[in-house]
Amino acid sequence: MEPPPAEDVSRMPDPADNRSPGQQQMSREEKAAFEGRISDLGERLGKVKAQRQAGVDAELDADMRGRGMAYGMRMAAELVGAVIVGAFIGVGLDWLIGTKPWLFLVFFLIGFAAGVLNVVRAYERMQKEIAARTGGRLGQTVRDDED
Amino acid sequence: MPDPIHQFEIHPLIPIKLFGWDVSFTNSSAFMLLAVILTAGFFMVAMRGRSLVPSRLQSMAEVSHQFVASMLRESTGEAGMKYFPLVFTLFIFIFVCNMLGMIPGAFTVTSHIVVTAALAALVFLTVLIVGFAKNGIRFLKLFVPEGVPILILPLVVLIEIISFLSRPVSHSVRLFANMLAGHITLKVFGGFVVMLLSAGTFAALSPLPLLMAVALTALEVLVAFLQAYVFTMLTCMYLNDALHPGH
Repeated sequence: MEPPPAEDVSRMPDPADNRSPGQQQMSREEKAAFEGRISDLGERLGKVKAQRQAGVDAELDADMRGRGMAYGMRMAAELVGAVIVGAFIGVGLDWLIGTKPWLFLVFFLIGFAAGVLNVVRAYERMQKEIAARTGGRLGQTVRDDED
Repeated sequence: MPDPIHQFEIHPLIPIKLFGWDVSFTNSSAFMLLAVILTAGFFMVAMRGRSLVPSRLQSMAEVSHQFVASMLRESTGEAGMKYFPLVFTLFIFIFVCNMLGMIPGAFTVTSHIVVTAALAALVFLTVLIVGFAKNGIRFLKLFVPEGVPILILPLVVLIEIISFLSRPVSHSVRLFANMLAGHITLKVFGGFVVMLLSAGTFAALSPLPLLMAVALTALEVLVAFLQAYVFTMLTCMYLNDALHPGH
């Protein structure tokens, strides 16, 4: 931000100076200039604040995007992990008992059910986590700017 | 095009044979050792002063301690603080390994499922042992949700058991897959730059994948931290199940 012009500084009313009461009264032009400066300052302050807010928003946005990817991967792993474990148990039992391929099919499906259960649980936890992080402002912090 | 998988190859630095097993000191071991030395060195230097008004290094160490401690306390309560050394070690080790992997040319220890699976198995066995030691047979209540009709209870218990057994799988696959995928993507985009540069007029397009690689590097740093965080967070949640199996 550029410093104010030098003449502005010299005309700034100084409360500490001991001029006579008549001289302390600002002339009409001075008053107008002063008010102009104040409104100008307010405008500039507003801009700075808006910039800062935008920076915070962008940071939060990027953070949530990164987390979104992490959550996505987590969901995929939760689902696939359970299916794999179920299938392995099925194959193992088939191999032990000799009922190929029936237990594999049964445990594959049970594994899928367990995967869905995992995803539902992970989603519930995630929802709480996000709500705590954004202070319940879910949906407002991550604006859709895709279209 | 440079092989994007080449960076994950393991080659022995000091070949060692023990009872017929190959236990060579590999580049992976070297980076694990480096991570441990860096961590130990950092905390030793940072906490040397132990002043009331912390120096920069000391406050970094304190912030990381605080971060993990509050994460553990939030999900397990005061009872879980006993396991803080384990959780903190896991977090710092994974974080430092992930970050070391971000240095060009470095080896990413956590991009191998054998490493992440070993860490996940450690957590899984800890949960099992702590669960049975603390709650005895009541730990099995974890598999029997309340308010389920007796008719479908066997099926539900089976599903719960598979869900429980799938934890170490998803726990390890997530960390490994993230690190592997991220590093391959980085390498592929880097390879695009080289390919375009040697393709005559198409060389004009080469800044595009370069920009992408720069953006991906930033994302990868975030992922490196987040995955360490997620791994630790899940460890805390599993420990909570072991300490309070009644939900």
